[in-house]
Amino acid sequence: MENLLMPTSERIAEGGVEQLAEVPPNGGTAPASTFQVKNMSIWYGEKRAIQDVTMDIATNAVTAIIGPSGCGKSTFLRALNRMHELTPRTRMEGTVLLNGEDLYSSTVDPTVVRRRVGMVFQKSNPFPTMTIGENVVIGLRLNGVHDQKFLNERLEKSLRMAALWDEVKDDLNKPGTSLSGGQQQRLCIARTLAVEPDVVLMDEPCSALDPIATAKIEELISELKTKYTIVTVTHNMQQAGRISDFTAFFYLGRLVEFGVTTSIFTNPKERQTEDYITGRFG
Amino acid sequence: MVISKHILGSFDEALSALRNDLLMMAGLAERSLDRAIKGLLERDDDLCANAIADDEEIDQLEKQIDQDGMEVLLRFHPVASDLRRVISAIRLSPNVERVGDQATNIAKRARKLNRHPPLPEVQMLVPMQAHAMSMFKDSINAYVRENVELANSVCGRDKQLDEMNRDANKKLTTRMVENTEQLRGYFNLLMISRALERVGDHAQNIAEDAVYAAAAEDIRHKGVAVSA
Repeated sequence: MENLLMPTSERIAEGGVEQLAEVPPNGGTAPASTFQVKNMSIWYGEKRAIQDVTMDIATNAVTAIIGPSGCGKSTFLRALNRMHELTPRTRMEGTVLLNGEDLYSSTVDPTVVRRRVGMVFQKSNPFPTMTIGENVVIGLRLNGVHDQKFLNERLEKSLRMAALWDEVKDDLNKPGTSLSGGQQQRLCIARTLAVEPDVVLMDEPCSALDPIATAKIEELISELKTKYTIVTVTHNMQQAGRISDFTAFFYLGRLVEFGVTTSIFTNPKERQTEDYITGRFG
Repeated sequence: MVISKHILGSFDEALSALRNDLLMMAGLAERSLDRAIKGLLERDDDLCANAIADDEEIDQLEKQIDQDGMEVLLRFHPVASDLRRVISAIRLSPNVERVGDQATNIAKRARKLNRHPPLPEVQMLVPMQAHAMSMFKDSINAYVRENVELANSVCGRDKQLDEMNRDANKKLTTRMVENTEQLRGYFNLLMISRALERVGDHAQNIAEDAVYAAAAEDIRHKGVAVSA
């Protein structure tokens, strides 16, 4: 079992980073789950944003979280890497196991969790004062990796995985913000991949992109799932149908329905799901 | 189940237009089949001509339904029950169109028969016609009312129609040997029997699509699995 408390630099030194994506999920039983969420409830102050959610998130698959605004889908996503804790007066109940390990154990450092469980946001957010290359490897540098050869290799590998290398290989010293919106989003994905997480969380990663850039990100997601477990929040029902293997529908903080995407979009079991995805809500 | 309206009114209108075109097409096919059979039994060439004339409008509606369905898919990206309704409508309309074709075939054969003295054997087609017509009507009703039970019952009735067709074939073939003077007439009755049997096949196809639309269950070719 990978030690969540071990810094990336030490894992690299032990050769652990290269093995991160190879962690055997659930002892090899199928379908394997990267996350096991049990009875999760989250409060912002007095407001209960997530109510008693239990679900397993499959390994090397794309899970889409859908639901109307305010249903708790982004809160749920953020709770998978403890990012919701950055909001004041947040309280969580229940358990979240990552490959069997309790993410909310008192001995676990949230910053380490966020390294194992990367996040891509709605709006691309490259560091404006950094070059394209610096943006990609900043996570490694902050974790104490300074071996330039290693950083260069990881830079190229991450940009290739993010399907951006061919477009930027001659411009690595240009500012990250000089790229187009779609390229910036792929740069952020490369930055996330550079620290070799187990999981990539995506919070509406294409909502600010044009159809071409969206298609590239969707294609990238399909390729990345062979190595990573991906959980994405989307308001785009067609996108959820295209890219995800499993779909979870949230409403008013509750998990209404969770299942194989083709089943959810052809024959949902719950009336609320049917009404939402067919546009009969409200 | 009461189906609530979509937030997007134009989506409801497009689905409604698709459904109305399908209902009109089914109504025309039913009328055409009815006229063709009446034209045969009552030896009325005008009814036969009307049955044949209906076919053009049925063909036009088939194309219209394809266009309506494509437009709904393109503009509204339907999912769940909406998607199933559109897919079923597109799959169902060629079967309705072929029922119209069978009505035309029957009407053309009837006109040929009407030129000669009546054959008493025509009466053996009456129960077949009633059976085929009830299967067709019930298949359309099952689709419109999303009645899975009714649809399943239609599928179960096709074997009986096949049996009736086999029986008619046997009797008519015997007559053809016994009375070679009426060979052509018996042959036309044989072809009408076959057309009615085909109506039953189309009704079964429609009923299968009705089950898919209502319950998301593919009951075609039982025993043949689709890889995930």
